[in-house]
Amino acid sequence: MASLRGLALPAICSVFFLAVAAFVSIRQAVLFLVGIGLGSCLAAARFGFTTGWRELVRARDPRGVFGQALLLLLASAMALPLLSQFEELQSAAGPIGVSLLVGAFVFGASMQIADGCGSGTLYKAGMGYALNIGILPLFALGSFLGSVHLPFWLSLGSMSPILLLDHFDAGFSFALTASFLIFLLLMVRLYVGPSRTWIKANWVYGAVGLAIFASINLILAGQAWGVVYGFGLWAAKLATASSLFDPSQNSFWGAAQHQERLRESVLLDVTSMTNIGILAGAYLIQQWKQRKDVKASTQQSQSLSAKQWAIALLAGLIMGYSSRLAFGCNVGAMLSGISTGSLHGWIWLCIAFCGTLIGIRLRERYGF
Amino acid sequence: MDSKHKSALLFWLLLALFIAWDFKQSAAIDLRFEAPLIAAGSGKASAGAHCASVGR
Repeated sequence: MASLRGLALPAICSVFFLAVAAFVSIRQAVLFLVGIGLGSCLAAARFGFTTGWRELVRARDPRGVFGQALLLLLASAMALPLLSQFEELQSAAGPIGVSLLVGAFVFGASMQIADGCGSGTLYKAGMGYALNIGILPLFALGSFLGSVHLPFWLSLGSMSPILLLDHFDAGFSFALTASFLIFLLLMVRLYVGPSRTWIKANWVYGAVGLAIFASINLILAGQAWGVVYGFGLWAAKLATASSLFDPSQNSFWGAAQHQERLRESVLLDVTSMTNIGILAGAYLIQQWKQRKDVKASTQQSQSLSAKQWAIALLAGLIMGYSSRLAFGCNVGAMLSGISTGSLHGWIWLCIAFCGTLIGIRLRERYGF
Repeated sequence: MDSKHKSALLFWLLLALFIAWDFKQSAAIDLRFEAPLIAAGSGKASAGAHCASVGR
């Protein structure tokens, strides 16, 4: 009986894959599989951007950020040559301005309180964590509200995206990216001191897996991996259908490409499809861990009070809002921005880390 | 069934309902205009939207 229950989820995923391939698009069906791969890597390796930063600050443990640096290096090594070779592929190019600075700082702080960035919230919700399941719809609402207000934030001052590939070839762009990463790791080394363990297996195989699937996403979809846009789209569809929002009156959702996304099924949206896949992949890993008797509790490590729940949910809403101002989360802005040679990814990283220092203090203050 | 499994089940049911509702109320999908399986080398620029989109 237990083995039959174990087969139910793969069967549902298979039926969904076949239905999407038959009635929507083969590419979208394959992107669902890519999402499952991404979700599996995130959940199996417990690859948390938020946790890695927190462990660095609080315990001077560099293993998480080393894994993240490895991911950025591998993803850049694959994305930059692809982008220079195929003109159909698009970089994750975000503008630089007030919106990015405010959004990245607030996101870096709020993700520590909500205990998960965009991908972290997604895979933990897929694994059945009650807090992240609660945060997900608020993250979507925040992402939608942020996109509605984005034109205002852009009006406060912004400059066009700056892409390494517009100025250098792929080889030199990668060399620059690798140099910046090495510089960051040297800064980390100065902070953590000598005799620290830098490599932990799960961070390494997580980085390798995520880099491979992110590159496949780029090749198939023609755009870099992202998470946040899909969330905002889901909330925008609900708001539009319930007549609470008129997209034609908003300069973000009134733009042709976003009108098209609102008109079409979410099954045709690249980011939505990988998001659904990530949820499914994380759930598959959770089920597998339970069958293997691996400790995979879906309870929070400690039970949260009503006040802590309220604070975490509010942080999720703010995280969604700020992610749109920052042109993505750790995935869409940092990973995809840096790996495709966009300067906004580097700025996002530096500013979000400053925000995270505040977020960790707030997290401790409220007893998380 | 304990509360953690109930919340997970509710989450998946709501997600499935949302996808089904959205599929029903969205424009019909015309398979003749299906995007290429592999964007790289297809000659067609991505029509998708990304987190970095600014809506202009």
